[in-house]
Amino acid sequence: MAKVYVTGMGIITALGDTLELNRDGLMQGKCAIGKLDSFPSKYAETLLFGEIKHSNAQLKKMLNVNVKGVSRTSLLALHAFNQAIQDAGISEKELSNSDTSLVIANTVGGMCLTDELYQDANQHNSGSEYIASYDCGSVGVFLQDRFKIRGIVNTINTACSSSANAIMYGARLIKKGYAKRVIVGGTDSLAKFTINGFNSLHILSPGLCAPFDKDRSGLNLGEGAAFLVLEGEDSIVDQKIIAEVKGYANANDAYHPSTLSENGDGPFLAMQQALKQAGLTPGDIDFINTHGTGTENNDEVEGRAMIRLFNKVPAFTSTKSNIGHTLGASGAIEAVYCILNLLHQEIYPSLNFKESITDTRLIPEQSYSKTVINNVMSNSFGFGGNCSSVILSKV
Amino acid sequence: MFYIHQTVCISPQITFPEANLEQLIICNENKLYAKEPSYEGIPTGILRRMGKAVRLGVAAALPLFKLNDQLDGIIIGTANGGMEDCIKFLNQIMQYEEGVLTPTNFVQSTSNAVASQLGFFSKNKGYNITHVHRGLAFENAIIDAEMLLDDNKEHTYLLGGLDEISTYNFNIDYLCGYIKKESITNADLYTGKTEGSIAGEGVSMFVVNNNSKDAISNFRAIQTIHTTDDKELAAVFKKFLAENLSDRETVDLFLTGENGDFRYENVYETLESILKEDTVVARYKHMCGEYQTASSFALWLSGWILQNQNVPMHMLKTSLKKNEIANIVIYSNYQGFQHSFMLLSKV
Repeated sequence: MAKVYVTGMGIITALGDTLELNRDGLMQGKCAIGKLDSFPSKYAETLLFGEIKHSNAQLKKMLNVNVKGVSRTSLLALHAFNQAIQDAGISEKELSNSDTSLVIANTVGGMCLTDELYQDANQHNSGSEYIASYDCGSVGVFLQDRFKIRGIVNTINTACSSSANAIMYGARLIKKGYAKRVIVGGTDSLAKFTINGFNSLHILSPGLCAPFDKDRSGLNLGEGAAFLVLEGEDSIVDQKIIAEVKGYANANDAYHPSTLSENGDGPFLAMQQALKQAGLTPGDIDFINTHGTGTENNDEVEGRAMIRLFNKVPAFTSTKSNIGHTLGASGAIEAVYCILNLLHQEIYPSLNFKESITDTRLIPEQSYSKTVINNVMSNSFGFGGNCSSVILSKV
Repeated sequence: MFYIHQTVCISPQITFPEANLEQLIICNENKLYAKEPSYEGIPTGILRRMGKAVRLGVAAALPLFKLNDQLDGIIIGTANGGMEDCIKFLNQIMQYEEGVLTPTNFVQSTSNAVASQLGFFSKNKGYNITHVHRGLAFENAIIDAEMLLDDNKEHTYLLGGLDEISTYNFNIDYLCGYIKKESITNADLYTGKTEGSIAGEGVSMFVVNNNSKDAISNFRAIQTIHTTDDKELAAVFKKFLAENLSDRETVDLFLTGENGDFRYENVYETLESILKEDTVVARYKHMCGEYQTASSFALWLSGWILQNQNVPMHMLKTSLKKNEIANIVIYSNYQGFQHSFMLLSKV
């Protein structure tokens, strides 16, 4: 079966709006989580967020977006998308060929426009400029229209594992021969909706999130977007290849809408099946970018599932300690970070860890190091038991 | 390509538990609500907390779980998922000024609530996904199922499409101009010359695999395209027919998503003119209303037509000139820019 390669990538997070800024921040162990500035919320002062400090007006200017009704979620996506296609050297003509596909993940859509949505949904007025931009599909529709993409276009929402599934769907479109190149990725922006949602579940940390720490107290919400350009090996002429999408799997925990089962069957199955699909054994994985949200439930269960699968748990970190949990974007953002691990043969420090969880005794990497990395695993688990793992490999 | 086995459809028409489609169920005020079943098998306490989309999804899937204890995954297409819960939660945020809120609506507001509840109800730890690409959400679920079945020849999956009418998405669709300004009944959907359609909802679920034995129908091909250019659409349609039908085969029935919005009438006419004279043209949106995943209703309906060799009178746009219906092409058009073609054949 044809191999699927990554030939370009783009990213915007609280660490910065370029690949370089993100790598610098990761190398320096920078935590970009802080106070919320861009919109008023009761929690702006009391909780911490991985916010991108570009206003919507700045983003629109930077990106030359002059049409109305474009949400922040779409603007972040466009920024990362532009970088990715530029990095891969894809022409406008190639983009609008029928063999180019687009697969986007997000969970917030235009719901970041809380006030406008409230007005429009309750019909208090005659319709704001954002009336057709609230659904998750709106981001894909916006990019499809802007770049006249004619192949299969899809939007996936499996909560926090959404963009891992977008990568997976894109890779499969190539393997099946439905597309030559697929731009895959995820985006989500901070929203009053998700802040209050996660707050109602009591899983937002009052301080900085501390993945895999014994005294962790929840997650910090973040925002961002990342895109990867995937191309089949048959389509490679002289493109630079930056990684291979070696394996992936999706499994369900089938336990509870918002917590993982004690033994982590979903996470275990996702990791195990991704290995099988990649034709690798647990010993082949050099590094794991964990889901590692910093919630009580996730980190313990994920740790337990890793112990179940790996005889010796590989080096691991959680980059959510740098940028917060970017929900539907996290799988794609973390895939980009994994590719940075592979390209530069380096591991970035996981932050805010002090003491290991009693039951699992797992300790994340806490300092920058150079090391040999051939295969990395990226975990993404979401509400509804939606668990996915992606394996990226050096070429 | 794959085979469709058991199906369940809960719609505004009489489709559940048994279908009776001869008599059209009439609706008013531009809304075609699904006929909700009695929800036997869902504990009352759980049922009360479910939003309509989740309720409908679970009710449709439960009988299929009973018949299949070995499903390898759950693949759902839904544009909005639990929109009702979503805005309920939003309204709480606004009304209580971000006070102490209960998470139930939030958890059910995510689009993947239906697929995950189904995984939970059936203890299914297999593949579980939710496609939400607006008017092509269900089509992507089909493409996903097709790819999975190509890689896993022995697998069986649950494939479903659903969306609900909530006060909120009705308001938004109305403000978008997707709903008619004047009040009509579904029986008169195709007679006016105005913009917009009528709102609809429903759920259709399918058990799909590669086994032709005892199958209801054979799903042979799907093509999606985003375009507002009729010429491009016509070219895609011609290519779809040429690639997927042999010279000996004909399209016996062309089932279109014509929805009473006069802005798109010419699109249907253009496509109908590509087909041979004796192809029967039929419509279904007067039965289920307009919603992003209405093509899942069309797929269910096509299976029913192939099995029963009957096209109810109220569906016909042209006269029924065929003795046998073996091949059906379903055409879906969401707001003039998201299109799909599907080819379904008798087994």
